[in-house]
Amino acid sequence: MKKQPKRLATSVALAIGVTLAGSSAFAQSVDTARIDAGGQNDWLTYHGSYKSYHYSPLAQINPSNVANLGVAWIHIPGRSTRGLQSMPLVADGVLYYTGSYSRVFALNGATGEVIWSYFPELDDALIARQTHSPYNRGVAIGEGKVYVGTMDGRLIALDMKSGKLLWDTKLIDSQKLTVGFTGAPLYAKGTVVIGAQGGEWPGRGPIFGVDPTTGKKKWEFLTVAGTDDATKTWGNDSWRTGGGGGWMPGTYDSETGTIWWGTANPAPLYDWSGGDYKTQGARPGDNLYTSSVIGLDVDTGKLKFYHQELPHDAWDFDSAVGEFVMLDRDGQKLVVHPNKSGYIFVYDRSANVKNVWRITENSNFVKNIDPKTGELIGRRDFAAGKVSEPLCPHISGGVSFNAGSYNPKTGLYYKLGQEWCMTLEVLKTTPVVAPQAQLNIGADFKIAPPPSGEIYGHLDARDPVTGAKKWEVRFPEPPLASVLSTGGNLVFVPDSRGTIHAYDAESGTELWNHSDGTGHQGGIVSYAVNGKQYIAVTAGFGGMASDDYAPTFGGVYKSMPRDDGALIVYSLK
Amino acid sequence: MSNRAERLKLNLIRTDWDAIKLHSNRIALLPAVLTALLTCAVPAFAQSATPAPENAPLDVAQLFATTCGWCHSDGGRAAGKGPQLMDSQRSDDFLRDRIKTGKQGAMPAFDQAFSDAQIDDIVKYIRALKPR
Repeated sequence: MKKQPKRLATSVALAIGVTLAGSSAFAQSVDTARIDAGGQNDWLTYHGSYKSYHYSPLAQINPSNVANLGVAWIHIPGRSTRGLQSMPLVADGVLYYTGSYSRVFALNGATGEVIWSYFPELDDALIARQTHSPYNRGVAIGEGKVYVGTMDGRLIALDMKSGKLLWDTKLIDSQKLTVGFTGAPLYAKGTVVIGAQGGEWPGRGPIFGVDPTTGKKKWEFLTVAGTDDATKTWGNDSWRTGGGGGWMPGTYDSETGTIWWGTANPAPLYDWSGGDYKTQGARPGDNLYTSSVIGLDVDTGKLKFYHQELPHDAWDFDSAVGEFVMLDRDGQKLVVHPNKSGYIFVYDRSANVKNVWRITENSNFVKNIDPKTGELIGRRDFAAGKVSEPLCPHISGGVSFNAGSYNPKTGLYYKLGQEWCMTLEVLKTTPVVAPQAQLNIGADFKIAPPPSGEIYGHLDARDPVTGAKKWEVRFPEPPLASVLSTGGNLVFVPDSRGTIHAYDAESGTELWNHSDGTGHQGGIVSYAVNGKQYIAVTAGFGGMASDDYAPTFGGVYKSMPRDDGALIVYSLK
Repeated sequence: MSNRAERLKLNLIRTDWDAIKLHSNRIALLPAVLTALLTCAVPAFAQSATPAPENAPLDVAQLFATTCGWCHSDGGRAAGKGPQLMDSQRSDDFLRDRIKTGKQGAMPAFDQAFSDAQIDDIVKYIRALKPR
């Protein structure tokens, strides 16, 4: 509450900026209050604002004129190994985004002119040995700096105006643990938060809080056995190689000073415990705090609360999706968080379950999740050997790591669901940690169509709290990129074939589309410079989910590059 | 063997476990080793927890389920993110080189993870692959 006067002042300043339609003339520092307010013309944090709406209130582009949308400018970052996955940020008319290998660019948002660029020198030998690499999902901004993580375990701060290196802090021994950072950091209240990759690597999945001025580590939270109580949930000391991590940025609740973060799955991905997972298998017990949402004190990194969405996750359906949609409904403050399985959890602001609903049609890893308690009902825990009925969804998830969009004007949550399954045979494995940690999967598997027929994806417009569906649009192959909705009553979906679509937010009617020349699997944002609205989207395919598309779907995917990409920016002609 | 056990025992008394130090190449063995030491079941430990010495034969089927199988589907029998390995037309030299040096953006390099003899075992496994 102490911050209210500052927030009010920021809002007034923003309102003036909007009125004069000249945001760059009113350039100001990006701080917690400004990110909290979200602004009109900017996109200041990965999820748009701390509310995680992936929504822009800009309405200049709308159903009456979207047919006139055309390419304003393009930027080619180069060396786009495994495509582009970045979420651009925009502050005061300058767009910041990353390419593969954590290449950072600051571009004039109106023209695409390069203001500065920064290519970190990386440990190439290490990156050549990594599997989930070398893509990067974006930067954080705050206190006059741009923050980016690297695949070799560092967090870097650059001067926002010049791109000059300010500090470079090594946080993880990636040379041994193999994992580094691909996710964007989060800036909040004098702390830069970033989570390590993990899940299938034998480690303990740390999340770090770093001082933005000095680059010094303030705190570290281990998502595997981060407390004494949690350690007891890993039988046979399996926590030592437990996996975990927090590879996508979460968000910040400014009212309570809490970082919300989603954590990765335990290793091995597939356990051979059979039904008695509490005492049998590779990692007996619930395996806290994997596949959980956690609330950390922003200043200390201490755990304030948690909810483990999947106790003893045996399917690689982690909670690392960083969307925490903050809603106020009927006097209740709620948080909506999609689990990778396709179940969407609704919490209060202390992670108590208020509802659970499902976006996917094909799902059989559990029979259901109790909407009142969040308890898994009828879970399938495999023993070693061939699994008779295919597992749904596929390892790539019922939802992508990319984000949906909540539109406060329509009250609808626009989210992509994915319908696919896999056959698998569970095999006992031994974690490999020397000389360098290796993946620990625990099964041989293969993608398979769902019982309902062909693989497909769908954009749903739903009530975020009840899950009630208003409309749905289907795609022959699951789209993997983020979704954007706007105050102009539009929903933008960049699909896997390389076409970006605009739909009427109320009806789902397609109003416009355009080819970006290659598949999408990254971010999309909207912003304004000098009174003109822009839509910026990253195109460029390749990576853990999209690498399956050529062998599975053939067609355009057979010739689609997996080492190319561009940032494409649209405006009205 | 005894030296290794000594080192492992030494590691047991360390108290500074954390993610950064988890890289120690003995640490992952600790759960099994701890059990083994506590029960004095050293022979069992030798069977279940000792990794293959550098040039010992690899259990390649297990290796695929551990590491390779995310990309080489169905234990290498089907195309996935990586190519189908069963009935590969590539030469042994090509396969050895690809495993060692990888391919940017597609295949990690395993030169540090496996010895030449172990890579030969992987090639032998690929050559012996049959449909399930």
